[in-house]
Amino acid sequence: MDKLLRNKKAILLFIAPAFILFTAVLFYPICRAVYFSFCDYKVNYPIKFVGFKNYVLLFTKDKTMRIALRNSLFFLIFSCVSQLIFGLLLAALLTNIKFGRNLFKNIYYLPCVLSSAALGLLWMFVFTPKLGINQMMASFGWISDCTEGPQWLFNTDGYIILPIIVISVVALWQYVGQSMMLYMAQISGISNDIYEAAYIDGATKTQAFVKITLPLIRPMVATAMSLNAIGSLKFFDLVYNMIPEGFLGNRAHVLATHLYDQAFKYNKLGYGSAIGVVLLVMCLAVTLFINKVVKCENYEM
Amino acid sequence: MSTQSKIIKGIIYVFLTLLALVYLLPLLWVVITSLKDDAVLMISPWALPERPMFENYSFAWTMGNLGRSTWNSFVVCTITLVLSMVFGSMAAYAIAILRWKLANATMTYFLIGMMIPVHCVLIPLFIQFSKIGLSNTLTGIIIPYITISLPITIYILVGFFQGIPRELFEAACIDGCSVYGMFTHVALPLAKTGFMVTGLMSFVANWNELLLAMVFISKEAKKTLPVSLTKFVGPYNTNYCQMFAAIVLAIIPTVVVYCCFANNIVDGLTQGAVKG
Repeated sequence: MDKLLRNKKAILLFIAPAFILFTAVLFYPICRAVYFSFCDYKVNYPIKFVGFKNYVLLFTKDKTMRIALRNSLFFLIFSCVSQLIFGLLLAALLTNIKFGRNLFKNIYYLPCVLSSAALGLLWMFVFTPKLGINQMMASFGWISDCTEGPQWLFNTDGYIILPIIVISVVALWQYVGQSMMLYMAQISGISNDIYEAAYIDGATKTQAFVKITLPLIRPMVATAMSLNAIGSLKFFDLVYNMIPEGFLGNRAHVLATHLYDQAFKYNKLGYGSAIGVVLLVMCLAVTLFINKVVKCENYEM
Repeated sequence: MSTQSKIIKGIIYVFLTLLALVYLLPLLWVVITSLKDDAVLMISPWALPERPMFENYSFAWTMGNLGRSTWNSFVVCTITLVLSMVFGSMAAYAIAILRWKLANATMTYFLIGMMIPVHCVLIPLFIQFSKIGLSNTLTGIIIPYITISLPITIYILVGFFQGIPRELFEAACIDGCSVYGMFTHVALPLAKTGFMVTGLMSFVANWNELLLAMVFISKEAKKTLPVSLTKFVGPYNTNYCQMFAAIVLAIIPTVVVYCCFANNIVDGLTQGAVKG
């Protein structure tokens, strides 16, 4: 048996397709992207090595980059915190009820599987001045006319502009189901004996949640949070589909849309690569950070 | 049950129901609006349509190019699904069952792939693929899609393969099964749930993928569904109701798949995640 499983030829054969594909389509291009980020590179022009010029430009001169970075960091923090709170809350409530648990769970998870492009369009209509929310507010008499209500997607005042906040709430709506599922899975894995022991000792439900559930699901908090963090840094579909091109100038850019514009609209492939590398570094750093801070130790379950 | 805990239960149910409405009403609103015409929409936005306008759908299907792009999306997702499961299960088998020194290192290598945003490889891949003539072809997006689906597929399937009792493999070995036979006759049939989960997850993810498809495909005839939808962006586009029809058409397939397999997705996702 052991000899059979150590068959070198078989191992190679089984691992090769995935490994080759992975290396050729993911890791090799990343090395190329890092190289491009140090070059001046446009389609149909020769590649010119320029050292750190792209990065210097990116962090000192590029105003859009500053806005994109700010918006992306806002998404990152907002989604990590809000998903943690709401995900845990929903998971705690759902594990406490029996009737209709699956139904509620499936409803909250539904938007996770739907196309962000389509949902982005849908929410754009909801927040459009003439339709949706403003029309509803007008019919309740809260505002005199549709067009006088808040300009949800077109207001550019403030440090973090209103459209970005609206989009991050929509993102919370769409993806909170995922965090909820992960937390629920972990909570249902906790043995009932622990709770019974606690209740015998006179603990209330709230105490049990704080003292037992929270510490025991800590590893999952790390997993869910890293997923959220990467997801929010990668954020593209909703922003692209909810804010029509050129409407807010550069105020509503995030890293992904900035990269897309620079590389594929203005043909600055080297510069775009530099943004990509910044994005990659941020993803790796945030994941490491979360895993270091949140996932201190594994408790025995 | 004491009255107090009954009241708390009641509050929980009220809260959950309200939240469920926040999830369902927007979707319902799209469906209803997609059957109206614009004039009616402006006057009475929430009333049911007097006469359902199915023309909106046929318009979106033909003029919005949604028919063609739905077909493209379907082709891309199905091929990706099959190939990523084949490659993924082979790699997972090698990592979980076969014995070699670098198995763990290889697993880590694949797992790092989960942390990498696709944005970083967009530019180099785009250049490479234009050189070898893969831009504007469906193959050109199928290859990266397979690669992106691989890490999660391998991760989940490794969990399932490790859950198979070792004795089964030993028994197969004594009966004269080869290492390849063990893969097709023992490992694959016993990881059915795993395939279901990974398959659904990769199908849904690829069906919804926008950025990569948008960069790689500019020809109308090759566009996938999310890319075709971006045409409708912009508040001054006329014909709201037809756009709503387009949205409905775009989300119906995933809704149907989800309704059929909701519990499987949810349970499987759970199993895969908890094992990590």
